[in-house]
Amino acid sequence: MKPFTYFSPTTLSDATRVLADYGADARCLAGGTDLLIRMKRHQWLPRAVVNLKRIPWLRDVAINAELRIGALVTLQDLVRAPIIREHFPVLAYAASKMAGVQVRNLATVGGNLCNASPAADTAPPLIALNARAVVVGARGERVIPLDEFFTGVGKSALAPDEILCEILVPRDDAVRASFIKLEHREAMDISIASVAVSLRNQKSEIKNQKCEDVRIVLGAVAPVPMRARQAEEILRGKELTEERIRQAARVAAREAQPIDDVRGSAWYRREMVEVLTRRQLIAMGKNVA
Amino acid sequence: MPQLGQSLTRLDARAKVTGDAQYPGDINLPGQLWMKVLFARRPHARIKRLDTAQAERAPGVARVFTARDVPVNEFGLGAKDAPVLVADKVRWVGEKIALVVAETEAQAEYARDLIAVEYDDLPAIIDPRDAMKPGSAQVHPAYPGNVIKHIPIRKGDVAQGFAQSDVIVESEYHTPAQEHAYLQPEAGIAYTESAFSIDDENRVTVIVAGQWTHEDQEQIAHALGLRLDQVRVIYPAIGGAFGGREDMSVQIILALAAIKLNRPVKIIWSREESIIGHHKRHPMWLKSKWGATRDGKIIAAQVEIISDAGPYTTTSTKVLGNAAFGVVGPYEVPNVQVDAYTIATNNIVSGAFRGFGGPQAHFQAETQMNKLAEKLGMDPVEIRLKNVLREGSLLSTQTPLPGGKVSLPQIVEKCADEFGWSQKSKIENIVLSVAKDRKSKIGYGFACALKNIGFSFGYQENAWAKVELHGAAEIDQVIVYHAAAEVGQGTHTALAQMAANALGVPLEKIELRASDTATSENSGSVSASRMTYIGGNAIKGASERALKKWNDEERPAIAEYKYLAPKTTNYDPETGKATPNIAYGYVAQAVEVEVDTETGHVRVARVTCADDVGHAINPRLIEGQIEGAVIQAQGWTIQENFQSKNGNVLTPHLSTYLIPGILDVPDRVDSVILEFPDYNGPWGARGMAEMPFIPLAPAIIAAVHDATGVWFDEFPLTPWKVLEGLKKKLDADRFARG
Repeated sequence: MKPFTYFSPTTLSDATRVLADYGADARCLAGGTDLLIRMKRHQWLPRAVVNLKRIPWLRDVAINAELRIGALVTLQDLVRAPIIREHFPVLAYAASKMAGVQVRNLATVGGNLCNASPAADTAPPLIALNARAVVVGARGERVIPLDEFFTGVGKSALAPDEILCEILVPRDDAVRASFIKLEHREAMDISIASVAVSLRNQKSEIKNQKCEDVRIVLGAVAPVPMRARQAEEILRGKELTEERIRQAARVAAREAQPIDDVRGSAWYRREMVEVLTRRQLIAMGKNVA
Repeated sequence: MPQLGQSLTRLDARAKVTGDAQYPGDINLPGQLWMKVLFARRPHARIKRLDTAQAERAPGVARVFTARDVPVNEFGLGAKDAPVLVADKVRWVGEKIALVVAETEAQAEYARDLIAVEYDDLPAIIDPRDAMKPGSAQVHPAYPGNVIKHIPIRKGDVAQGFAQSDVIVESEYHTPAQEHAYLQPEAGIAYTESAFSIDDENRVTVIVAGQWTHEDQEQIAHALGLRLDQVRVIYPAIGGAFGGREDMSVQIILALAAIKLNRPVKIIWSREESIIGHHKRHPMWLKSKWGATRDGKIIAAQVEIISDAGPYTTTSTKVLGNAAFGVVGPYEVPNVQVDAYTIATNNIVSGAFRGFGGPQAHFQAETQMNKLAEKLGMDPVEIRLKNVLREGSLLSTQTPLPGGKVSLPQIVEKCADEFGWSQKSKIENIVLSVAKDRKSKIGYGFACALKNIGFSFGYQENAWAKVELHGAAEIDQVIVYHAAAEVGQGTHTALAQMAANALGVPLEKIELRASDTATSENSGSVSASRMTYIGGNAIKGASERALKKWNDEERPAIAEYKYLAPKTTNYDPETGKATPNIAYGYVAQAVEVEVDTETGHVRVARVTCADDVGHAINPRLIEGQIEGAVIQAQGWTIQENFQSKNGNVLTPHLSTYLIPGILDVPDRVDSVILEFPDYNGPWGARGMAEMPFIPLAPAIIAAVHDATGVWFDEFPLTPWKVLEGLKKKLDADRFARG
């Protein structure tokens, strides 16, 4: 590791001031499960490391009209928090599929999102649930829809002086969501591909399985976690027939922009988008019936 | 009470469970320095310039070592053809360029990165099939044409055999590299006893994890120009080995630095350094043609093996010998032609790994057998019973098997019975009904193997032990001196049980002083499944001699014994005729797999593994070896995917090199232990630690074929490779239907 200056501010404004001073040479420290590895491997050589863990309230989970998840909430908190398990079981499930317990006890949801890996497993279900990111910078606060948060591999909409503070997830009892992560190994593995699906049906529409709104979000098959908007369009406002589901799954696969790497080849990833999308929609359709 | 056949608690259990056990990285000495290695991290290059001046001036640095600091700059197991530190030419990514020793590990690392090296990169020689062609660039001056060794075997007349065959199966197979992925990455600490001078009686001590104390001692002494007695090697607790610790890693470099600096020097490799820094299982290409009669009798086998050695010999010639022997599987075949080559390349060095050529050879043999069974419409168990070796059968080396009973027919039948092979269609119906929704198909596969015990082909197998009996009227204490490495397999417990049994005392009275070249003579390597057999015979001999002295009233009664195993002979250079081995173990496996035909995921649901171990010294330790071998072999077959590109390793971390996790292992591994005594084994025991690894890959491949109708002639069965195979079959079937 190279020498660096360590800051441990207790307020957001102190933290953003350091970030403003150091710009791209500063890195925020949350769980450290990505940061420290990259620093030790000399992939990142920050001049300043800003510990966020002394800032109060960033670890809170609360529910009201919407769910608020502090950026420093750990993945294991997501797995275990009763509020999450009761109201957003898909988030608890997605977090449970990430890493092992030791890493989940450290790694944070904010870190997972800001790291902006295409394979960040918290992103697809949060985007499917229409989540927004609250970010604070030297010039104030702004709210970014999470499906606009990711801008490239390892890149987000955060300005150098901005910190992701919390995630807002709207509460809507008509929405159900699911997530499948495809791994080569059954646990402790990075996604080869993942798909999150959310469906919104009004009670009156459940019988005929009409889908009022839908989101299909693909992970690890593009530079950013991405919505398969054309596939969504096929289903939105329509009845969920098996024929339509199959068509949407095929379209989602076409929309993916996968690459070849050590974890799998592009053609395989694309094909898995179809399988995972279809399997989930069919299962969700069955649950309704 | 007899001490054999009891699942006594292993001697090291408490220390390992409580964390008291000291592994090399846990040991610290006052005044110790830390070492970091500068690896080449490029496959083939000439060093133009190496400048260590800046590193030497860096804070905390005690010294920087380069090639010119190594007195005799060469080492290697099979041939001393590798440099300790590279002077001019880099031949693989894990080559060591320089060593930095500093007050702290961070300072050593910081200084290491200040070393300036300019390279002239050379084109890397990667595919051994090209490297052996005339005109290929040379990897190593010692191996013209890049052929390190060619082994031919000629038995009978294959042309005539094929002419008489009713069915012939021809295939080309490829087996992948494999990383040992032991829990404990390479580490060690070395120190001198006082101001060291080479002419003095002083010595350097290296505490390290290895598999053969006396080989480490010899390699260190050779490279540093020392006498053997100036080098002491001690093994503390060792976190796994599997063949991966047979070659030198940190042994020589630690001793070098300790001698020159006269301070303790310590090193711990990171996982990445471990993965790029030590050898892998040999990748092999096997071209195979087998012929059989209509009633399922194999009459000819012709196999060409090309094995990728990497740039240096290490154990490659020995692995090749084993693979050449193994390519006809555990069968009596009247006409055999084998041509086996091990080829120098700029890939990561290949070397010993559990099974030592047997897994690659048997993957080919057993898959050929399963394909023949399919072609003939025969049951895989039935065709095996028609062909397995029995007493008096002639091997491909034209000699019979030693040791008495050849239990292959019993092993195959017992495995099939315990698995429920003949009732498996009923089982399938039950499972399928559950699995239907998961787009899964169920399949069953069978394979068997034999594994040599002990070093082969003319090596005079031997092991030493010393037993001291203390007490007056009765034996109060037994001290056993022995050099066997306890790498986690439980050999110290098994050896102590054998001593207790020979002496008629309880295990608690045995004190083992092991794995120290200063107190033991050579007991050989923990490899080739040999320590229970060869080491056990030494313990037995020393115990019996000490007991005789005890009965003659000697106090203390002390006896040493060096066991010499029956002789073997090397391959005849033209015909391959040989008496290759002193003993064998026999194994059969049946497996059930589930294949998700949409995602290509293969899950191993159930494995039955039947092993003839001769005499089960400690049944629980044997079950541990069987389950561990099955999981490790499953990793090689399905999850693990060692990837390199142009000689550079693409999977240098456990996050990209995926070993099976607890959710990936089979739901059930049923260990079936059979005991047909070997005439020369201690109390009839055979070695067994490798053989459960060997049949699993072909058994899984056969089960996947049973489920899907597709033969996979190469692996690992990554989901995309499986799906690709299924698609090709679908296309072929469509085409066939028109």
